[in-house]
Amino acid sequence: MYRETGLVNSPPPSAQDDAALLASVHRGDESAMASLFDRYSKIVYSVALRVLRDPASAEDVLQEVFMQIWRNPNSFVATRGSLGGWLAVVARNRSIDALRRKRPSEQVDDMALASNYNLADEAERNSLMEKARGVIRLLPMEQRKTLEMAFFDGLTHSEIAEMTGDPLGTVKTRIRSALTSLRKAFTA
Amino acid sequence: MSEPRRITSEDLALFAMQLLSKEEAAEVAAYVALSTDARRELAEIQGDLAIYAHTVDVHSPPAQVRERLMKQVAREKKAVPIERPVVAEARVPEAAVPPGTIFTESGAIVPSYVTEEIAPKRGIGSRVLPWVGWALAAGLALTAGKLYYEREAMREAMRGAMTAQASTIDRLTADVAAARQVTDTMTDSSAMRVTLTKGKTAPAPQGKATYVASKGALIFLASNLEQLKPGKTYELWLIPAEAGGSPIAAGTFRPDERGNASVIMPPLPKGVEAKAFGVTVEDEGGATAPTPPIILAGE
Repeated sequence: MYRETGLVNSPPPSAQDDAALLASVHRGDESAMASLFDRYSKIVYSVALRVLRDPASAEDVLQEVFMQIWRNPNSFVATRGSLGGWLAVVARNRSIDALRRKRPSEQVDDMALASNYNLADEAERNSLMEKARGVIRLLPMEQRKTLEMAFFDGLTHSEIAEMTGDPLGTVKTRIRSALTSLRKAFTA
Repeated sequence: MSEPRRITSEDLALFAMQLLSKEEAAEVAAYVALSTDARRELAEIQGDLAIYAHTVDVHSPPAQVRERLMKQVAREKKAVPIERPVVAEARVPEAAVPPGTIFTESGAIVPSYVTEEIAPKRGIGSRVLPWVGWALAAGLALTAGKLYYEREAMREAMRGAMTAQASTIDRLTADVAAARQVTDTMTDSSAMRVTLTKGKTAPAPQGKATYVASKGALIFLASNLEQLKPGKTYELWLIPAEAGGSPIAAGTFRPDERGNASVIMPPLPKGVEAKAFGVTVEDEGGATAPTPPIILAGE
């Protein structure tokens, strides 16, 4: 498995925005589905792979997430935020479900997501990735590790507290503080 | 009665990541449903998480995944809703409607005098027989309806099963293709094989065995092997961990002109724990027991 920065080997940016592609998907346009896959499959697959650490399982999540869009393009409502962001979080949640061998939770997909970023634009997506990585690198080690364990490993705050020996309250505060730092960096 | 727990933004973050227990999650969900501020904060947190998700190392999915998805997409073609023109209700100008006209549910215009017509007197048979006919028709309609719904349910179930099967077949086909590629690469005589050593020492003959006892699966790759005389072959042996267990023949092989050889998935019994592996030189066709000396050995 090779690593990428996300800057190379990517499909050319499409002039069509996500809403137009989703509308086409709603009308049964398979090429629109292919365009959405080309645009977002890397991030969905990468998130799933990071959580599950198994290419075959990550491929299953990728397939599942995109088939959900095909079967029910209305599951994402454009007013709720960016499709790219929504897909990244859904991929993470589906992967955690798979990790726990749990049925997918409908409630989780039905979420509003505040986002000011046009993740359909590849350049903006790459810029966001680089900036976010930079912010995370600058976080105190404990915060970074705790957020990683919660988000990518799906460990509950109790499990993290047990593993690290930190009090429950500290774990919760670290997760929140890490997210706050991320938000501040992006709103500054 | 206990005070309801105060929901903090820390709880909302855990809720967004599905890390709360069922009871805690229900409590937070109820709070979010009531509070606009909480909903706003939750949306902000989801936005933060979306950004955080983008910190992951980016990997491209294998090409066959796209192919698999598009095949399934094609299989699950959508029934695109057809927009039917709305038929305007045919309105009859009031002036054209004679007084005393009745509008039926079907929209038919029936002059009122028809309803006022006096029906002729009928006998018992003539009164019962039409009802028997209607009852039979209703019974048939019910049976037909039931059969129709049963058939539709069966078709739906079959369609679902076929889609699932087709998806499994695609997956298996992709897996087989990937496995075949791995095997082809490992056994390709034209493949470049490099043994990395410290300094400039000449690489010595060596073999690497990968063995999963529970599945009886073995992959053996060897390099820098010496060429054999005609009529001779190398033979790989599995030495069982069980005390007194006889060595099990795990395949014969001859190196290519560059000294490389492989044994991929030879027929082996499942569940035999291995203590060691060894390679001997035997007569072509292989032996029933290893002949000393052991050329290569490893535990």
